[in-house]
Amino acid sequence: MKQGPPRFSALRQVWRRNWRTVLACAALLLIWQAAALWLKREELPSAWETLRDVPVILSSGEDVLGILASLRRMALGFGLGLLVAVPLGLAMGRSKPLARLLNPLTALAYPIPKAALMPIIMLWLGIGDLSKVLVIFMGVSLPLLYHSSQGAEQVDDKLIWSAQAMGMGQVARLLRVILPAALPEVMLGCRVAVSIALITMISSEMIARQNGAGNLLFNAMDMAIYTDVYAVILIIAVIGVVLDVLMERLRVALTHWADTLQPGSTS
Amino acid sequence: MPKSLIEIAGLSKRFEVPGRGAHLALTDIDLSVREGEFVSLLGPSGCGKSTLLYMVGGFVAPSSGEIRVSGKPVREPGPDRGPVFQEFALFPWKTVLQNVMYGLTVQKVPAQEAKQRAEALLRKVGLADYAGFYPKQLSGGMRQRVAIARTLAYEPRILLMDEPFGALDAHTRTTLQNELLDIWERDRKTVLFVTHGVDEAVYLSDRVVVMSGSPGRVLRVADIDLPRPRVRTQLLTDPRYQQYVLELEALLDHARAPETTE
Repeated sequence: MKQGPPRFSALRQVWRRNWRTVLACAALLLIWQAAALWLKREELPSAWETLRDVPVILSSGEDVLGILASLRRMALGFGLGLLVAVPLGLAMGRSKPLARLLNPLTALAYPIPKAALMPIIMLWLGIGDLSKVLVIFMGVSLPLLYHSSQGAEQVDDKLIWSAQAMGMGQVARLLRVILPAALPEVMLGCRVAVSIALITMISSEMIARQNGAGNLLFNAMDMAIYTDVYAVILIIAVIGVVLDVLMERLRVALTHWADTLQPGSTS
Repeated sequence: MPKSLIEIAGLSKRFEVPGRGAHLALTDIDLSVREGEFVSLLGPSGCGKSTLLYMVGGFVAPSSGEIRVSGKPVREPGPDRGPVFQEFALFPWKTVLQNVMYGLTVQKVPAQEAKQRAEALLRKVGLADYAGFYPKQLSGGMRQRVAIARTLAYEPRILLMDEPFGALDAHTRTTLQNELLDIWERDRKTVLFVTHGVDEAVYLSDRVVVMSGSPGRVLRVADIDLPRPRVRTQLLTDPRYQQYVLELEALLDHARAPETTE
Protein backbone atom coordinates (compact mmCIF):
# COMPACT_ATOMS: atom_id res chain seq x y z
CA MET A 1 0.00 0.00 0.00
CA LYS A 2 1.15 3.53 -0.79
CA GLN A 3 2.03 5.71 2.16
CA GLY A 4 0.30 9.10 2.21
CA PRO A 5 1.98 12.27 3.50
CA PRO A 6 2.66 12.02 7.25
CA ARG A 7 -0.14 14.38 8.22
CA PHE A 8 -2.72 12.21 6.48
CA SER A 9 -1.37 8.96 7.82
CA ALA A 10 -1.66 10.44 11.33
CA LEU A 11 -5.26 11.35 10.57
CA ARG A 12 -5.88 7.86 9.25
CA GLN A 13 -4.56 6.42 12.50
CA VAL A 14 -6.90 8.57 14.58
CA TRP A 15 -9.76 7.46 12.35
CA ARG A 16 -8.81 3.81 12.62
CA ARG A 17 -8.82 4.01 16.42
CA ASN A 18 -12.02 6.05 16.83
CA TRP A 19 -14.31 5.27 13.91
CA ARG A 20 -16.76 3.38 16.09
CA THR A 21 -17.17 6.35 18.43
CA VAL A 22 -17.63 8.74 15.51
CA LEU A 23 -20.15 6.40 13.92
CA ALA A 24 -22.14 5.98 17.15
CA CYS A 25 -22.32 9.75 17.70
CA ALA A 26 -23.35 10.34 14.09
CA ALA A 27 -26.06 7.68 14.34
CA LEU A 28 -27.43 9.25 17.53
CA LEU A 29 -27.52 12.71 15.94
CA LEU A 30 -29.28 11.29 12.87
CA ILE A 31 -31.95 9.56 14.95
CA TRP A 32 -32.42 12.77 16.95
CA GLN A 33 -32.72 14.80 13.77
CA ALA A 34 -35.21 12.39 12.24
CA ALA A 35 -37.31 12.26 15.43
CA ALA A 36 -37.37 16.06 15.67
CA LEU A 37 -38.41 16.46 12.05
CA TRP A 38 -41.07 13.83 12.41
CA LEU A 39 -42.54 14.99 15.77
CA LYS A 40 -42.29 18.71 14.95
CA ARG A 41 -42.57 19.73 18.62
CA GLU A 42 -41.16 22.83 20.23
CA GLU A 43 -39.83 20.80 23.18
CA LEU A 44 -37.62 18.78 20.84
CA PRO A 45 -35.50 21.03 18.67
CA SER A 46 -33.56 19.27 15.94
CA ALA A 47 -29.98 18.14 16.38
CA TRP A 48 -28.84 20.58 13.74
CA GLU A 49 -30.46 23.58 15.45
CA THR A 50 -28.99 22.52 18.78
CA LEU A 51 -25.49 22.08 17.39
CA ARG A 52 -25.72 25.50 15.75
CA ASP A 53 -26.72 26.97 19.09
CA VAL A 54 -23.62 25.66 20.90
CA PRO A 55 -21.16 28.21 19.43
CA VAL A 56 -23.74 30.96 20.07
CA ILE A 57 -23.77 30.10 23.77
CA LEU A 58 -20.00 29.74 23.85
CA SER A 59 -19.55 33.16 22.32
CA SER A 60 -21.57 34.82 25.06
CA GLY A 61 -19.08 36.11 27.60
CA GLU A 62 -21.56 35.86 30.45
CA ASP A 63 -22.46 32.25 29.75
CA VAL A 64 -18.83 31.18 29.37
CA LEU A 65 -17.92 32.93 32.62
CA GLY A 66 -20.80 31.07 34.25
CA ILE A 67 -19.55 27.71 32.98
CA LEU A 68 -16.01 28.58 34.09
CA ALA A 69 -17.34 29.47 37.54
CA SER A 70 -18.99 26.02 37.61
CA LEU A 71 -15.74 24.32 36.68
CA ARG A 72 -13.85 26.30 39.28
CA ARG A 73 -16.25 25.19 42.03
CA MET A 74 -16.01 21.65 40.77
CA ALA A 75 -12.22 21.76 40.83
CA LEU A 76 -12.26 23.24 44.35
CA GLY A 77 -14.66 20.61 45.66
CA PHE A 78 -12.71 17.83 43.98
CA GLY A 79 -9.37 19.16 45.21
CA LEU A 80 -10.68 19.48 48.74
CA GLY A 81 -11.94 15.89 48.47
CA LEU A 82 -8.49 14.72 47.39
CA LEU A 83 -6.81 16.53 50.27
CA VAL A 84 -9.19 15.24 52.95
CA ALA A 85 -10.76 11.98 51.78
CA VAL A 86 -7.73 10.28 50.24
CA PRO A 87 -5.43 10.49 53.31
CA LEU A 88 -8.35 9.62 55.59
CA GLY A 89 -9.30 6.66 53.37
CA LEU A 90 -5.71 5.41 53.30
CA ALA A 91 -5.56 5.63 57.10
CA MET A 92 -8.88 3.75 57.35
CA GLY A 93 -7.50 1.02 55.11
CA ARG A 94 -4.53 0.52 57.42
CA SER A 95 -6.19 1.00 60.80
CA LYS A 96 -8.99 -1.35 61.80
CA PRO A 97 -10.16 0.77 64.78
CA LEU A 98 -10.44 3.85 62.56
CA ALA A 99 -12.31 1.87 59.91
CA ARG A 100 -14.71 0.48 62.54
CA LEU A 101 -15.33 4.01 63.79
CA LEU A 102 -16.00 5.59 60.40
CA ASN A 103 -17.59 2.76 58.38
CA PRO A 104 -21.08 3.16 59.93
CA LEU A 105 -20.97 6.89 59.17
CA THR A 106 -19.99 6.42 55.54
CA ALA A 107 -22.58 3.66 55.16
CA LEU A 108 -25.23 6.13 56.38
CA ALA A 109 -23.94 8.90 54.15
CA TYR A 110 -23.79 6.78 50.98
CA PRO A 111 -27.47 6.60 50.02
CA ILE A 112 -28.18 10.28 50.77
CA PRO A 113 -28.16 12.34 47.56
CA LYS A 114 -25.70 15.06 48.49
CA ALA A 115 -27.75 17.67 46.62
CA ALA A 116 -30.63 16.90 49.01
CA LEU A 117 -28.54 18.52 51.75
CA MET A 118 -28.26 21.69 49.70
CA PRO A 119 -31.28 23.45 51.28
CA ILE A 120 -29.87 22.97 54.78
CA ILE A 121 -26.41 24.06 53.75
CA MET A 122 -27.90 27.11 52.08
CA LEU A 123 -29.56 28.02 55.36
CA TRP A 124 -26.18 28.10 57.02
CA LEU A 125 -23.85 29.28 54.32
CA GLY A 126 -26.03 31.09 51.81
CA ILE A 127 -26.38 30.40 48.11
CA GLY A 128 -22.83 31.38 47.14
CA ASP A 129 -19.79 29.37 46.12
CA LEU A 130 -19.13 28.06 49.61
CA SER A 131 -22.34 26.00 49.77
CA LYS A 132 -21.81 24.55 46.32
CA VAL A 133 -18.16 23.69 46.85
CA LEU A 134 -19.12 22.01 50.12
CA VAL A 135 -21.78 19.87 48.42
CA ILE A 136 -19.39 18.85 45.63
CA PHE A 137 -16.77 18.06 48.26
CA MET A 138 -19.24 15.80 50.08
CA GLY A 139 -20.21 14.13 46.83
CA VAL A 140 -16.67 13.27 45.78
CA SER A 141 -15.50 12.34 49.27
CA LEU A 142 -17.38 9.06 49.57
CA PRO A 143 -16.03 7.30 46.45
CA LEU A 144 -12.56 8.68 47.19
CA LEU A 145 -12.79 7.45 50.77
CA TYR A 146 -14.03 4.04 49.69
CA HIS A 147 -11.48 3.41 46.94
CA SER A 148 -8.58 4.80 49.00
CA SER A 149 -9.37 2.55 51.93
CA GLN A 150 -9.82 -0.46 49.63
CA GLY A 151 -6.51 0.30 47.96
CA ALA A 152 -4.68 0.78 51.25
CA GLU A 153 -6.12 -2.39 52.72
CA GLN A 154 -4.76 -4.42 49.82
CA VAL A 155 -1.20 -3.14 50.21
CA ASP A 156 1.10 -6.03 51.09
CA ASP A 157 2.32 -5.82 54.70
CA LYS A 158 5.80 -6.74 53.52
CA LEU A 159 6.04 -3.62 51.41
CA ILE A 160 5.35 -1.57 54.53
CA TRP A 161 7.72 -3.65 56.65
CA SER A 162 10.48 -3.12 54.09
CA ALA A 163 10.01 0.64 54.43
CA GLN A 164 9.83 0.37 58.22
CA ALA A 165 13.11 -1.52 58.33
CA MET A 166 14.72 1.29 56.34
CA GLY A 167 13.70 3.58 59.19
CA MET A 168 10.74 5.31 57.54
CA GLY A 169 8.27 6.91 59.97
CA GLN A 170 4.52 6.49 60.04
CA VAL A 171 3.46 9.62 58.13
CA ALA A 172 6.15 9.09 55.49
CA ARG A 173 4.98 5.48 55.04
CA LEU A 174 1.42 6.65 54.43
CA LEU A 175 2.50 9.15 51.76
CA ARG A 176 5.50 7.40 50.22
CA VAL A 177 4.52 3.74 50.39
CA ILE A 178 0.81 3.25 51.01
CA LEU A 179 -0.33 6.09 48.72
CA PRO A 180 1.69 5.00 45.67
CA ALA A 181 0.94 1.31 46.29
CA ALA A 182 -2.79 2.11 46.51
CA LEU A 183 -2.66 4.58 43.62
CA PRO A 184 -4.19 2.29 40.95
CA GLU A 185 -7.27 1.89 43.16
CA VAL A 186 -7.28 5.57 44.24
CA MET A 187 -7.28 6.60 40.58
CA LEU A 188 -10.34 4.44 39.94
CA GLY A 189 -11.98 6.35 42.77
CA CYS A 190 -10.93 9.64 41.16
CA ARG A 191 -12.64 8.66 37.95
CA VAL A 192 -15.90 7.89 39.74
CA ALA A 193 -15.51 11.10 41.75
CA VAL A 194 -15.15 13.27 38.63
CA SER A 195 -18.53 12.22 37.30
CA ILE A 196 -20.09 12.66 40.74
CA ALA A 197 -18.50 16.11 40.97
CA LEU A 198 -20.12 17.05 37.67
CA ILE A 199 -23.52 15.76 38.80
CA THR A 200 -23.41 17.53 42.18
CA MET A 201 -22.10 20.68 40.55
CA ILE A 202 -25.11 20.87 38.20
CA SER A 203 -27.66 19.91 40.86
CA SER A 204 -26.29 22.42 43.36
CA GLU A 205 -26.59 25.17 40.75
CA MET A 206 -30.11 24.10 39.92
CA ILE A 207 -31.07 24.49 43.58
CA ALA A 208 -29.06 27.59 44.47
CA ARG A 209 -29.50 29.51 41.23
CA GLN A 210 -26.94 32.24 40.92
CA ASN A 211 -24.68 31.43 38.01
CA GLY A 212 -23.04 28.46 36.33
CA ALA A 213 -24.02 25.72 33.92
CA GLY A 214 -26.96 24.44 35.97
CA ASN A 215 -28.35 27.97 36.28
CA LEU A 216 -27.91 28.48 32.54
CA LEU A 217 -29.90 25.34 31.90
CA PHE A 218 -32.80 26.32 34.12
CA ASN A 219 -32.93 29.92 32.93
CA ALA A 220 -33.36 28.62 29.39
CA MET A 221 -36.00 26.23 30.68
CA ASP A 222 -37.88 29.06 32.45
CA MET A 223 -37.85 31.15 29.31
CA ALA A 224 -38.84 28.11 27.25
CA ILE A 225 -35.84 28.49 24.92
CA TYR A 226 -35.57 24.76 24.32
CA THR A 227 -32.71 24.91 21.84
CA ASP A 228 -30.63 26.51 24.59
CA VAL A 229 -31.67 23.82 27.06
CA TYR A 230 -30.49 21.06 24.74
CA ALA A 231 -27.35 22.92 23.77
CA VAL A 232 -26.35 23.43 27.41
CA ILE A 233 -26.95 19.75 28.13
CA LEU A 234 -24.74 18.94 25.17
CA ILE A 235 -22.00 21.23 26.48
CA ILE A 236 -22.21 19.63 29.93
CA ALA A 237 -22.00 16.17 28.36
CA VAL A 238 -18.92 17.11 26.36
CA ILE A 239 -17.28 18.59 29.46
CA GLY A 240 -18.01 15.33 31.26
CA VAL A 241 -16.52 13.19 28.49
CA VAL A 242 -13.42 15.38 28.21
CA LEU A 243 -12.81 15.27 31.98
CA ASP A 244 -13.27 11.51 32.01
CA VAL A 245 -10.83 10.99 29.14
CA LEU A 246 -8.29 13.29 30.83
CA MET A 247 -8.68 11.40 34.12
CA GLU A 248 -8.17 8.07 32.35
CA ARG A 249 -5.04 9.40 30.62
CA LEU A 250 -3.75 10.60 33.97
CA ARG A 251 -4.47 7.23 35.56
CA VAL A 252 -2.56 5.33 32.90
CA ALA A 253 0.33 7.81 33.09
CA LEU A 254 0.55 7.57 36.87
CA THR A 255 0.19 3.79 37.19
CA HIS A 256 2.08 2.50 34.15
CA TRP A 257 4.34 0.57 36.54
CA ALA A 258 1.49 -1.56 37.92
CA ASP A 259 1.52 -5.27 37.16
CA THR A 260 -1.94 -5.23 35.67
CA LEU A 261 -3.46 -2.13 34.17
CA GLN A 262 -7.20 -2.44 34.48
CA PRO A 263 -8.84 -1.63 31.17
CA GLY A 264 -10.73 1.64 31.32
CA SER A 265 -13.95 0.98 33.14
CA THR A 266 -15.80 2.58 35.99
CA SER A 267 -16.21 0.23 38.88
CA MET B 1 33.53 -17.41 72.46
CA PRO B 2 32.06 -14.34 70.69
CA LYS B 3 29.13 -12.69 72.40
CA SER B 4 25.75 -13.44 70.87
CA LEU B 5 24.16 -10.77 68.70
CA ILE B 6 20.61 -12.07 68.83
CA GLU B 7 19.24 -13.51 72.07
CA ILE B 8 15.78 -15.04 72.18
CA ALA B 9 14.45 -16.18 75.56
CA GLY B 10 11.14 -17.81 76.51
CA LEU B 11 9.46 -16.50 73.40
CA SER B 12 5.90 -17.40 72.48
CA LYS B 13 3.32 -16.08 70.08
CA ARG B 14 -0.42 -16.45 70.37
CA PHE B 15 -2.78 -15.32 67.59
CA GLU B 16 -6.36 -14.40 68.33
CA VAL B 17 -8.52 -16.10 65.71
CA PRO B 18 -11.95 -14.41 65.60
CA GLY B 19 -14.62 -16.90 66.67
CA ARG B 20 -12.17 -19.70 67.38
CA GLY B 21 -10.23 -18.37 70.35
CA ALA B 22 -6.48 -18.26 70.54
CA HIS B 23 -4.02 -20.18 68.42
CA LEU B 24 -0.60 -20.86 69.91
CA ALA B 25 1.83 -20.46 67.02
CA LEU B 26 5.13 -20.58 68.88
CA THR B 27 6.12 -21.54 72.40
CA ASP B 28 9.24 -21.79 74.59
CA ILE B 29 11.66 -20.52 71.97
CA ASP B 30 15.21 -20.04 73.25
CA LEU B 31 17.93 -19.29 70.77
CA SER B 32 21.04 -17.22 70.46
CA VAL B 33 22.87 -16.27 67.31
CA ARG B 34 26.46 -15.06 67.26
CA GLU B 35 27.76 -12.17 65.19
CA GLY B 36 28.64 -13.34 61.68
CA GLU B 37 26.79 -16.61 61.98
CA PHE B 38 24.60 -18.05 59.23
CA VAL B 39 21.63 -19.72 60.94
CA SER B 40 18.70 -21.40 59.22
CA LEU B 41 15.25 -21.95 60.68
CA LEU B 42 14.03 -25.22 59.19
CA GLY B 43 10.60 -26.70 59.70
CA PRO B 44 7.35 -27.88 58.18
CA SER B 45 4.92 -25.25 56.95
CA GLY B 46 2.89 -23.77 59.78
CA CYS B 47 5.61 -24.28 62.41
CA GLY B 48 5.91 -20.53 62.95
CA LYS B 49 9.43 -20.13 61.58
CA SER B 50 8.46 -17.07 59.55
CA THR B 51 6.61 -15.61 62.53
CA LEU B 52 9.77 -16.05 64.59
CA LEU B 53 11.73 -14.17 61.92
CA TYR B 54 9.13 -11.38 61.81
CA MET B 55 9.39 -11.01 65.59
CA VAL B 56 13.18 -10.63 65.37
CA GLY B 57 12.52 -8.01 62.69
CA GLY B 58 10.13 -6.19 65.04
CA PHE B 59 7.30 -6.48 62.51
CA VAL B 60 5.23 -8.72 64.79
CA ALA B 61 5.10 -8.37 68.58
CA PRO B 62 5.70 -11.46 70.75
CA SER B 63 3.02 -12.54 73.24
CA SER B 64 5.61 -13.32 75.89
CA GLY B 65 9.35 -13.67 76.23
CA GLU B 66 12.01 -11.39 74.90
CA ILE B 67 14.25 -10.81 71.92
CA ARG B 68 17.44 -8.81 72.32
CA VAL B 69 19.61 -7.60 69.47
CA SER B 70 23.04 -6.28 70.51
CA GLY B 71 21.76 -6.41 74.08
CA LYS B 72 18.77 -4.14 73.41
CA PRO B 73 15.21 -5.46 73.47
CA VAL B 74 13.49 -5.41 70.09
CA ARG B 75 10.49 -3.06 70.07
CA GLU B 76 10.16 -2.06 66.43
CA PRO B 77 11.83 -2.58 63.06
CA GLY B 78 15.17 -0.89 62.51
CA PRO B 79 17.86 -0.58 59.85
CA ASP B 80 20.13 -2.93 61.83
CA ARG B 81 17.85 -5.81 60.72
CA GLY B 82 17.22 -5.93 56.97
CA PRO B 83 14.45 -8.21 55.71
CA VAL B 84 14.32 -10.09 52.39
CA PHE B 85 10.92 -11.66 51.65
CA GLN B 86 9.83 -14.54 49.46
CA GLU B 87 7.49 -12.15 47.61
CA PHE B 88 10.41 -9.74 46.94
CA ALA B 89 8.26 -6.78 48.18
CA LEU B 90 9.92 -4.31 45.82
CA PHE B 91 8.34 -0.89 45.36
CA PRO B 92 6.73 -1.45 41.94
CA TRP B 93 6.50 2.28 41.14
CA LYS B 94 10.23 2.73 41.49
CA THR B 95 12.92 1.64 39.08
CA VAL B 96 15.51 -0.96 40.02
CA LEU B 97 18.06 1.75 40.87
CA GLN B 98 15.52 3.79 42.86
CA ASN B 99 14.53 0.69 44.81
CA VAL B 100 18.13 0.00 45.81
CA MET B 101 18.73 3.67 46.63
CA TYR B 102 15.55 3.99 48.65
CA GLY B 103 16.84 2.90 52.04
CA LEU B 104 19.77 5.27 51.68
CA THR B 105 17.48 8.14 50.69
CA VAL B 106 15.33 7.46 53.75
CA GLN B 107 18.46 7.62 55.88
CA LYS B 108 19.36 10.95 54.27
CA VAL B 109 22.51 9.77 52.52
CA PRO B 110 23.33 12.46 49.89
CA ALA B 111 21.79 11.57 46.51
CA GLN B 112 25.10 11.30 44.66
CA GLU B 113 26.62 8.95 47.20
CA ALA B 114 23.41 6.89 47.40
CA LYS B 115 23.40 6.49 43.64
CA GLN B 116 27.04 5.38 43.56
CA ARG B 117 26.52 2.85 46.32
CA ALA B 118 23.37 1.51 44.68
CA GLU B 119 25.10 1.18 41.31
CA ALA B 120 27.99 -0.70 42.92
CA LEU B 121 25.53 -3.12 44.52
CA LEU B 122 23.69 -3.62 41.23
CA ARG B 123 27.01 -4.53 39.63
CA LYS B 124 27.60 -6.97 42.49
CA VAL B 125 24.31 -8.77 41.78
CA GLY B 126 24.81 -8.57 38.01
CA LEU B 127 21.99 -6.14 37.27
CA ALA B 128 23.92 -3.01 36.29
CA ASP B 129 22.22 -3.01 32.88
CA TYR B 130 18.75 -3.06 34.40
CA ALA B 131 18.99 0.06 36.59
CA GLY B 132 16.19 1.86 34.71
CA PHE B 133 13.79 -1.10 34.57
CA TYR B 134 10.64 -1.41 36.64
CA PRO B 135 10.18 -4.53 38.79
CA LYS B 136 7.33 -5.83 36.61
CA GLN B 137 9.76 -6.02 33.69
CA LEU B 138 12.08 -8.43 35.55
CA SER B 139 12.02 -12.18 36.14
CA GLY B 140 11.58 -13.59 39.64
CA GLY B 141 15.27 -14.26 40.08
CA MET B 142 16.19 -10.74 39.01
CA ARG B 143 13.58 -9.24 41.33
CA GLN B 144 15.01 -11.15 44.26
CA ARG B 145 18.52 -9.95 43.38
CA VAL B 146 17.19 -6.38 43.45
CA ALA B 147 15.50 -7.03 46.80
CA ILE B 148 18.74 -8.39 48.26
CA ALA B 149 20.69 -5.41 46.89
CA ARG B 150 18.07 -3.04 48.31
CA THR B 151 18.51 -4.53 51.78
CA LEU B 152 22.32 -4.74 51.58
CA ALA B 153 22.38 -1.06 50.54
CA TYR B 154 21.63 0.28 53.99
CA GLU B 155 24.11 -2.13 55.55
CA PRO B 156 22.09 -3.92 58.20
CA ARG B 157 24.08 -5.95 60.74
CA ILE B 158 21.59 -8.79 60.38
CA LEU B 159 19.90 -10.16 57.27
CA LEU B 160 16.46 -11.64 57.91
CA MET B 161 15.63 -13.86 54.95
CA ASP B 162 12.14 -15.35 54.74
CA GLU B 163 12.24 -18.25 52.23
CA PRO B 164 13.87 -15.83 49.82
CA PHE B 165 14.35 -18.42 47.08
CA GLY B 166 11.08 -20.29 47.67
CA ALA B 167 9.26 -18.74 44.72
CA LEU B 168 12.06 -19.39 42.21
CA ASP B 169 12.65 -22.32 39.87
CA ALA B 170 15.29 -24.88 40.87
CA HIS B 171 18.02 -23.57 38.57
CA THR B 172 17.58 -19.92 39.58
CA ARG B 173 17.42 -20.96 43.23
CA THR B 174 20.80 -22.71 42.98
CA THR B 175 22.35 -19.68 41.27
CA LEU B 176 21.05 -17.30 43.91
CA GLN B 177 22.19 -19.58 46.75
CA ASN B 178 25.70 -19.45 45.32
CA GLU B 179 25.56 -15.68 44.88
CA LEU B 180 24.32 -15.26 48.43
CA LEU B 181 27.20 -17.39 49.75
CA ASP B 182 29.68 -15.32 47.69
CA ILE B 183 28.34 -12.11 49.18
CA TRP B 184 28.26 -13.60 52.65
CA GLU B 185 31.86 -14.89 52.43
CA ARG B 186 32.99 -11.33 51.75
CA ASP B 187 31.36 -9.46 54.60
CA ARG B 188 30.12 -12.23 56.94
CA LYS B 189 26.92 -10.56 57.99
CA THR B 190 24.75 -12.35 60.51
CA VAL B 191 22.02 -14.17 58.60
CA LEU B 192 18.78 -15.65 59.88
CA PHE B 193 17.38 -17.72 57.01
CA VAL B 194 13.93 -19.33 56.97
CA THR B 195 13.53 -22.34 54.68
CA HIS B 196 11.75 -25.66 54.38
CA GLY B 197 14.48 -27.13 52.17
CA VAL B 198 16.90 -29.41 54.05
CA ASP B 199 19.62 -29.30 51.40
CA GLU B 200 19.39 -25.52 51.21
CA ALA B 201 19.71 -25.22 54.99
CA VAL B 202 22.73 -27.57 55.14
CA TYR B 203 24.42 -26.02 52.12
CA LEU B 204 24.23 -22.45 53.44
CA SER B 205 24.28 -22.61 57.23
CA ASP B 206 26.65 -22.80 60.18
CA ARG B 207 23.76 -23.99 62.30
CA VAL B 208 20.30 -25.30 61.50
CA VAL B 209 17.45 -24.83 63.95
CA VAL B 210 14.92 -27.60 63.33
CA MET B 211 11.41 -26.71 64.41
CA SER B 212 8.25 -28.75 64.86
CA GLY B 213 4.74 -27.52 64.32
CA SER B 214 1.56 -26.73 66.28
CA PRO B 215 2.72 -25.13 68.43
CA GLY B 216 6.13 -24.32 66.97
CA ARG B 217 9.05 -25.38 69.15
CA VAL B 218 12.76 -25.82 68.67
CA LEU B 219 13.27 -29.54 68.13
CA ARG B 220 17.03 -29.48 67.74
CA VAL B 221 19.87 -27.16 66.84
CA ALA B 222 22.35 -28.87 64.54
CA ASP B 223 25.90 -27.58 63.93
CA ILE B 224 26.86 -27.95 60.29
CA ASP B 225 30.56 -28.59 60.41
CA LEU B 226 31.46 -28.32 56.75
CA PRO B 227 34.45 -26.40 55.37
CA ARG B 228 34.00 -22.97 53.78
CA PRO B 229 33.96 -21.57 51.19
CA ARG B 230 31.50 -24.26 50.18
CA VAL B 231 31.34 -25.54 46.64
CA ARG B 232 28.10 -27.30 45.78
CA THR B 233 29.62 -29.90 43.44
CA GLN B 234 32.15 -30.95 46.09
CA LEU B 235 29.58 -30.99 48.87
CA LEU B 236 27.17 -33.25 47.02
CA THR B 237 29.73 -36.07 47.11
CA ASP B 238 30.87 -35.30 50.67
CA PRO B 239 29.63 -38.07 53.02
CA ARG B 240 29.35 -35.58 55.91
CA TYR B 241 27.01 -33.41 53.84
CA GLN B 242 24.93 -36.45 52.96
CA GLN B 243 24.86 -37.46 56.61
CA TYR B 244 23.56 -34.03 57.70
CA VAL B 245 20.89 -34.06 55.04
CA LEU B 246 19.75 -37.56 56.01
CA GLU B 247 19.66 -36.74 59.73
CA LEU B 248 17.74 -33.53 59.24
CA GLU B 249 15.30 -35.17 56.83
CA ALA B 250 14.58 -37.78 59.49
CA LEU B 251 14.08 -35.07 62.11
CA LEU B 252 11.75 -33.17 59.80
CA ASP B 253 9.69 -36.33 59.22
CA HIS B 254 9.43 -36.61 62.97
CA ALA B 255 8.44 -32.93 63.19
CA ARG B 256 5.72 -33.39 60.60
CA ALA B 257 4.32 -36.52 62.29
CA PRO B 258 1.98 -34.79 64.83
CA GLU B 259 0.42 -32.87 61.98
CA THR B 260 -0.48 -35.96 59.99
CA THR B 261 -1.90 -37.90 62.95
CA GLU B 262 -4.05 -34.94 63.96
